[in-house]
Amino acid sequence: MILTFFNHELKAFWRSKNTGKSIAVKVFLGLMMLYLLACVLFLSFVLDKLLGELFPKDDLVVAFCGILLVYFLYDMVMRLQLQELPTLKVQPYLHLPVKRNTIISYLALTALFSFFNLWPIVLFTPFIVKIILPENGASVASAIWLSIVGISVFNNYLALYIKRRANLNGWIFLAVGGLLSLIVCGDYIWHLYSIQKASNLVFGNLLKTPVLVMVPLLMAIAMFYINFFYLKDNLYLEELSSKKAEDRKSSTEIPLLGRFGHIGDLVANEIKLILRNKRPRSALVMGLFFLFYGLIFYTQKVYGEGMKVFVGMFMTGFFIISYGQFMYSWQAAHFDGILVSKVKFRDFLRAKYLLFAMVSTVAFVLTTPYAYFGWRTVMIHFVMYLWNIGINTTIVLWFANFNQKRIDLTKGASFNWEGVGASQLLLSFPLLICPYLIYLPFRYLLHSSDWGFGAMAIIAVVGIATRDFWIKQLERDFYNKRYKIAEGFRNK
Amino acid sequence: MIEIKNLKKVYNGVTVVNIPALQIQKGESVGLVGNNGAGKTTLFRMILDLIRPQAGEVLSKGEVVAGGEAWKQYTAAYLDEGFLIDYLTPEEYLYFIGGLHQQSKAQVDEEMNALSDFFNGEIIKKGKYIRDLSKGNQCKVGVASCLLQNPELLMLDEPFANIDPSTQFRLKNILKDQNKNKGVTTIVSSHDLNHVTDVCDRILLMEKGVVIKDIATSSSTLAELEEYFGVGQTSGTVNYTAPGIDQEENH
Repeated sequence: MILTFFNHELKAFWRSKNTGKSIAVKVFLGLMMLYLLACVLFLSFVLDKLLGELFPKDDLVVAFCGILLVYFLYDMVMRLQLQELPTLKVQPYLHLPVKRNTIISYLALTALFSFFNLWPIVLFTPFIVKIILPENGASVASAIWLSIVGISVFNNYLALYIKRRANLNGWIFLAVGGLLSLIVCGDYIWHLYSIQKASNLVFGNLLKTPVLVMVPLLMAIAMFYINFFYLKDNLYLEELSSKKAEDRKSSTEIPLLGRFGHIGDLVANEIKLILRNKRPRSALVMGLFFLFYGLIFYTQKVYGEGMKVFVGMFMTGFFIISYGQFMYSWQAAHFDGILVSKVKFRDFLRAKYLLFAMVSTVAFVLTTPYAYFGWRTVMIHFVMYLWNIGINTTIVLWFANFNQKRIDLTKGASFNWEGVGASQLLLSFPLLICPYLIYLPFRYLLHSSDWGFGAMAIIAVVGIATRDFWIKQLERDFYNKRYKIAEGFRNK
Repeated sequence: MIEIKNLKKVYNGVTVVNIPALQIQKGESVGLVGNNGAGKTTLFRMILDLIRPQAGEVLSKGEVVAGGEAWKQYTAAYLDEGFLIDYLTPEEYLYFIGGLHQQSKAQVDEEMNALSDFFNGEIIKKGKYIRDLSKGNQCKVGVASCLLQNPELLMLDEPFANIDPSTQFRLKNILKDQNKNKGVTTIVSSHDLNHVTDVCDRILLMEKGVVIKDIATSSSTLAELEEYFGVGQTSGTVNYTAPGIDQEENH
């Protein structure tokens, strides 16, 4: 029976729309995976040298033992954020004559097929074989290896257990998050204890008495059963699903937008779309994080002004890029309604321009503290802000006409490849190249950055002033493609 | 009101809709029936300019629908949940639709009050987004948004499918009221023959994309339709096939 489940699971993976329909996306994803794996493999083979450099005073094995618990602590943090619950997939089997234990074992076992369980093995096995095996013998090496496997399995089920509990009660997640950050702070900020030393203690004893490997293994088995029985008690749809208990939803209004009439209404709807759905919301949050992007570059003298063009564009326009690259897909679920409604497509486009201009303005205002790095930085940001609303918005919306992929708004953003296609990859080229096409000739041929910025500002302002012309072009282009776009959006 | 000329839609070599000529007059109430895959929804979508026909055209008030905007002023339609903005609350959505037709919130509230029976206390002020409503309640929101637009042409695709019996009765009364008292042209598709013969004065029966029957509703219509759909069930002796129906039509 479990084999049948696995078979279905494989089919679900290969046939899912998330995996990407087009071969290009599949190849790209495959390459990314291989690249990541290669990185980890490389890291694992140089781990001994790396540890030798990081902890020159310590013995290699001692240093290795020291980082293990630290690794698993971060592993836990990552799992809590990113690991997905293998849950709703069981729904079609619940009413069939399949034993509950079979379903639950299947659920519990598939949870093991996570990249998080592969990393520690890939990362640490070469070190164990290279260093510990010749130095401490086979029994110690296998004890360390088994305990690493044991702790990852333990982490795996603990993370899932916490996530399942948190589904029913959101406070649990906050409590665990608080606890984890207290543990981290206790070591690195308050210096109350050292996780590294604790790790040394644990694995040092393991080196002396390999039989202790039973402890992590037993912990892993215990956690597996805790998870198993918890699932067994709660095998009901509402408890399994990742939907949290719903609060009362209230209608909200954004009074400022009332002044823009119809277009303001459309923008208000779109702001609700962004705030009320997981994936667009994370695009917005990412945009906020990108406001700190400048700190990485501006604090280092290596990067000249050319870099500020790039960084300024990202900081003031990250939302335009991250949200805009999937344009119209966000509204795929009600696109038919938009087409039939009285909304003129021209107004629909104007609303997009208004939304982007508003968010960019907010981003620009938030970046003014970069005046710390000189007012010239703020000037560059302002030029890039104009560029974003004058040029980039039009580029992004033009590419939106090529996008025919539906997006399910309710799904999270991490590892979600839904809606990703060639148009997103192509979009990055004009966005990255265009500003430099203007800026670099001025800088290197005329030796004047100022003229470069001046030219960019003028072009951007012309872009803003001729907006209606571009909207007309976009609308005409859309009318040629609308049947295809609408049909693509209808394909679930 | 609506005129269809040589309309044709082909998917992967299969003709889904093929209507040489069809006229719907102002003030008519038309019921569209047919088994799954008969082409009802495709026809609706072509009338609403959502998909491109291979050939032919749809005219609304004498103007070609494709690429036009004028028909949007007086046409209201609800085909499926794809017409609703699902992350809004029903109130927000209805205010938005009302706003498109220059209605103030007070006016929308008034309209919604008039529909409170139809909503049955399940739509307004429930603190839910449209996506969290059941399919039946979503349908109510869709129908309400249509009525809010005070349309001259109202198109509903299987509105009776997901709603409860009480709402079905109320919806039938609403449709009759719109058609008889307000002169709204209605086009409704349904699998429920009782409802559709009750509400509509004219029935179009589609099969494999072709309108094979075009009848004015009379006391015998229901029986006629039941005979067509009850293949091999109503009577073992009469086995209806397409040519047989054509003869009946001629008769």
